[in-house]
Amino acid sequence: MTQATTATADIKKWDGGQSPFNLSYGKMMMWFFLLSDALTFGALLISYGTKRFFSDVWPDSNHVFKAFPGFSHDANMPLMFVSLMTFILIVSSVTMVLAVHAGHYNDKKGVIKWLLWTIIGGIAFLSCQCWEWVHLHGEGAWWGSFVDPKTTSLEELKHFYNPAVFANMTIEQGVNATTSFFNFFFTITGFHGMHVLSGVVLNVVILVNTVNGTYQRRGHYEMIEKVGLYWHFVDLVWVFVFTCFYLL
Amino acid sequence: MSAHHHSDNIQALYEGDQSKLYSGVLSHHTDIKSDESKAQVKRIMKITLWLTIITILEVAVGLYAHHSGAISKVFLAFYFLGLTVVKAALIVRVFMHLGDEKKNFVMAVVIPLSLFVWFIIAFLADGSFWLKMNNTQAFTKEVEQVQHK
Repeated sequence: MTQATTATADIKKWDGGQSPFNLSYGKMMMWFFLLSDALTFGALLISYGTKRFFSDVWPDSNHVFKAFPGFSHDANMPLMFVSLMTFILIVSSVTMVLAVHAGHYNDKKGVIKWLLWTIIGGIAFLSCQCWEWVHLHGEGAWWGSFVDPKTTSLEELKHFYNPAVFANMTIEQGVNATTSFFNFFFTITGFHGMHVLSGVVLNVVILVNTVNGTYQRRGHYEMIEKVGLYWHFVDLVWVFVFTCFYLL
Repeated sequence: MSAHHHSDNIQALYEGDQSKLYSGVLSHHTDIKSDESKAQVKRIMKITLWLTIITILEVAVGLYAHHSGAISKVFLAFYFLGLTVVKAALIVRVFMHLGDEKKNFVMAVVIPLSLFVWFIIAFLADGSFWLKMNNTQAFTKEVEQVQHK
């Protein structure tokens, strides 16, 4: 192909009447929305990281997150519950891929089956997150908790910290770090939880549409793909939240 | 039918089978029991296994680092964030099928996210720097000396 032909071909690609990226409008817009949402979550996580690196002391995630539903309050299972939550969400992402796969093959029954599993996974994750919130709230944590050094005692903060760090901590440092930690925690996991909830709602909507045969009539299951992109994004964000809050 | 659409042709542009544009993984196939389909499912399962393994590696190191307390915070940060980026790349490439899209579009998504990595490192470094600045009198004196030169 000569230079001139390639140049004309390029112009033709961007001349309108067709998609230059070979993508449908809906899918492209979903990708761009996900990019913007990624930057929003990123901004939240980076501000958490900055605040944390800027602090003398910081709650230890192995001490804050060591409970497990069904076990006694004193059970020491650091990070186990959140690992389970991560596993549930990743599995629901896999079932979503399988639903999209079934959609490519026009397999209506397969789409319904895998969408159902994805919805169940999403609801399971939300339930786990609710349990975590209720449990932490029971320990006194919430937005704006532990904020006043005059009315908060060091003893109240003790079980959120690594003993080595706690030994040298002042009440001002402790109160500053604990408030920030929980403010960020509830905000970020809450924002993420809202995305999971809306994802579950969307999944239910497309499941109903699938059962009614809307996509069969339309001739393609691209809507499953688009909602699938959103669902994978929600999983991706969780992977990053998990790393920032629980591992780092 | 929406009132905005004057004819079925325009409707087709929005809801029509534009996925016929694609080739390979994203195009339409017919038999879910075919070998091609089974191969794709196998690939999905393989990636799932990788994701599980990487998560286990992360949690294991996280627990160990907590118990030993002797591993540098910087190393841990790079280790966890590095593995997380690998997980993200796998999910985006295979599950979200970005790896099967046209290269131009892949770049349109990947390049802003790569700039984001710089963003992350810059802010975490700044946070540490401010802490050091606030905590060290020697450091403040250092800065003063440099300024007087």
